[in-house]
Amino acid sequence: MKQILHIFVKDVRQFWGEIFLSVAITAAFVWYFPYQWTGADRMHAVMGNHLLVPYTAQFLGSILIYLVPGSWWLFVTRVVHSERLVGDRQFWLTRPYEWKNLLSAKLLFVLVFLYLPIFAAQCMLLAEAGFQPFSYIPGLLYSLFLLTVVIVLPIFALATVTSNFARMTLTLLAAVVGVLCLGSFSSRLLPRHPVVAGLPESAVFSYSILLCAGIAAVLIQYSRRKVWIARILVFGTPALFIMAAPVLARLSNDQALIDRHYPTLANQDAAPVKLSVFPFSPGEREFVTNMMQGEIFVHIPLKGTGVADGYAVIPDNVRFAFETPDGYQWVSPWQPSSTPTFLPIGSAGDSAIFMPRAVYDRLIGKPITVHLTLAVTQAKVSNVTRIPLSIHDFSVPDFGVCSPVSGFRTPIDEATGIVCRSALRQPPLTYIGVVWSNTSCSTPHTEPDPGVQGAGWAGSLDRAPAQFGISSVRQTNFQLSNGYPNYPSGNPRYLCPGSPVTFTQYDVFRRTQVALTIQGFQLAAVRNSWPSD
Amino acid sequence: MKSTIRTEHLSRTFGRTLAVAGVNLVVPEGAIYALVGANGAGKTTLIKLLMNIFRPTAGSAQILGVDSQRLAGRAFERIGYVSENQELPDGMTAGGMMDYFRAFYPTWDRALEKELVRQFDLPLGRKLKHLSRGMKMKASFASSLAYRPALIVLDEPFSGLDPLVRDELIECLLDRAPETTILLSSHDLAEIESFASHVGFLEQGNLLFSEEMSVLSERFREVTVTLPNPATLPANMPATWLQPQAADCVVRFVLNSYKQHTSEREIAELFPAARDITFDPMSLRSIFLAIARSNRSGATSAGNPVTSQEKEA
Repeated sequence: MKQILHIFVKDVRQFWGEIFLSVAITAAFVWYFPYQWTGADRMHAVMGNHLLVPYTAQFLGSILIYLVPGSWWLFVTRVVHSERLVGDRQFWLTRPYEWKNLLSAKLLFVLVFLYLPIFAAQCMLLAEAGFQPFSYIPGLLYSLFLLTVVIVLPIFALATVTSNFARMTLTLLAAVVGVLCLGSFSSRLLPRHPVVAGLPESAVFSYSILLCAGIAAVLIQYSRRKVWIARILVFGTPALFIMAAPVLARLSNDQALIDRHYPTLANQDAAPVKLSVFPFSPGEREFVTNMMQGEIFVHIPLKGTGVADGYAVIPDNVRFAFETPDGYQWVSPWQPSSTPTFLPIGSAGDSAIFMPRAVYDRLIGKPITVHLTLAVTQAKVSNVTRIPLSIHDFSVPDFGVCSPVSGFRTPIDEATGIVCRSALRQPPLTYIGVVWSNTSCSTPHTEPDPGVQGAGWAGSLDRAPAQFGISSVRQTNFQLSNGYPNYPSGNPRYLCPGSPVTFTQYDVFRRTQVALTIQGFQLAAVRNSWPSD
Repeated sequence: MKSTIRTEHLSRTFGRTLAVAGVNLVVPEGAIYALVGANGAGKTTLIKLLMNIFRPTAGSAQILGVDSQRLAGRAFERIGYVSENQELPDGMTAGGMMDYFRAFYPTWDRALEKELVRQFDLPLGRKLKHLSRGMKMKASFASSLAYRPALIVLDEPFSGLDPLVRDELIECLLDRAPETTILLSSHDLAEIESFASHVGFLEQGNLLFSEEMSVLSERFREVTVTLPNPATLPANMPATWLQPQAADCVVRFVLNSYKQHTSEREIAELFPAARDITFDPMSLRSIFLAIARSNRSGATSAGNPVTSQEKEA
């Protein structure tokens, strides 16, 4: 312990400048980042008659969120390199340093001057956003864990396998370029693969692999200084990981993945949603196809009905099977679905899929039978909160803190939207309903204004205690429907103080597959423009 | 005699280059052992193998009874290492460095530290990065001697230093010599000769000989044979003759296995007409050059008829 403290004190004396810089940047981040939260209250409070003030503050906040990890990169690298592990001329190699003490001293330094300031910063941001920080200790610790895996450990591990700051910088740049190239190659190898929403296993697995590789590299360097083994771990593991994911996904059976997570129902009558083709008025819409990066993008408009009250059905992945009368069949791989969520009130939207050009050429002009299967998550209402809209920040239980949004020139009591912020992660999947006023809130009404319903989705089904981020506060922007009739020429509608806002939260109820067969389907000619709604 | 350093078939390769080739080295306790050799002979690599900075490809080494590959942490409390290429904590002042290192050594002698600082006239308040090369070396010496190490390892410690600084460092070393074992590598043969007790000659990674200075000095002689007529070299020259030359009436060579009566009689028998035969003692530098040149011209066993090293091993 004595040696640990001795090395620690030496590092503090040597790197007080870097420490000061990092702490100052973190403090400035805590000061300026809240200006990102563009609630009407805050904007009107800071703006006065000067538009420049909030914009400058917002700009600083958005820059500082990158400068904080930048300062970590500087001082973690410097402190590791003060007893660098690469080379054969360092003074400390022939001094009575115990490697465990040396590593502990460096970790103590990182704990005191990186983790404590960012922990304090995250607590202060939570408090500033209207949350009680001590209620979020597990989430804050999980957030620090994510920062460790994604930022701190990679920087630390890179520093242990490089000999000076310049090499470290070049290596970091090369690593970023390498990851981008590999990522691009990887995404070309497997452009789309099914995603199971709200399933933390894959993320935990990824984090575990990266964490183990980083820790192993650091331990090998400090205990044995086996530079090449450590370098292979530091650079090889992420590279292998990026490359292996699509290869394994391609080799694996995506049908088995879907069947495992979305078991088929024995009785389709019990399906959480009944699918049908959206009935177009002739000439209004058509089955549209577009070219995109050499593939054909096929849209099929769907309607979902029969969703039970208190539930919503979220299409996660989709698979199409096309059959022609001459026996040709093409079954698509499972792909993420962009179809909107189905609600009990009934909803419609496109289901779309990418198809190779060669397949399209075989199918065009023929009557086709389409078997469409959606892998869906059925979500159940877990909580409903009705709150009258306030002109100030208002707290929504289990969701976050919300604020009405108004333009700079708009009175504070005439909101044109709502923004919310949540602690450490996106809020649970929530359907937000509002009532728009057709006229300005300050206009005296001779007749009661029934208003217009508006709604939007916010949040996610992911239930991890925190999401990766420097800030502990997440801003949730959501688009409320019907806010701008006849956009862009028409006047906006307003959310008036006191009008009800409903937050309906959902939890995963079950996952399953629903199917639809369409007879006599014909592919349209390829268009270069996207369909308009 | 107890050995402070003992290696067995110690080897190290870098790619295809054999830097140290199966070296068997014994440094007796209390010795001032000079490791000499040309540039690239493998001296620094050998020392780094001993200090566990490099790991051997084959063979082993014991330093103060510890396997060199386990040499770490507290084992260095008894070893002082100074190298011409060693990086120091440049951001610290000389005094700061002494303060910092002091806590690592239970045997740190504050009185000795003060004496060394005074002896070297170290500017304690100046940052190491602002010190001259000689002053840095002095600071390095002071920080490596103040805890009275049982073994001092010096890799080219005098390289590039002015004579005054060299003398100061050597004087300081000699002051410590009675209580420690010193292993140093150097090109500076003249200075080593004045204080080394043992010498080892490294050539292309091979330890050609390793023995006490007195034995070495006794073994090598520069032989000059003056003949009445123009001389020619004998057809069957012994392998113990290095760099034989015949010019006019004189034959010259270096004899590497001189024994006073035997060698004089043998050579007199080989040159019965000789008018004069002289056996001149040689400096370490002359021995070093004779061996190096002989090796380069292909006489691989030039320096090694028998070594005290092998006797001990």
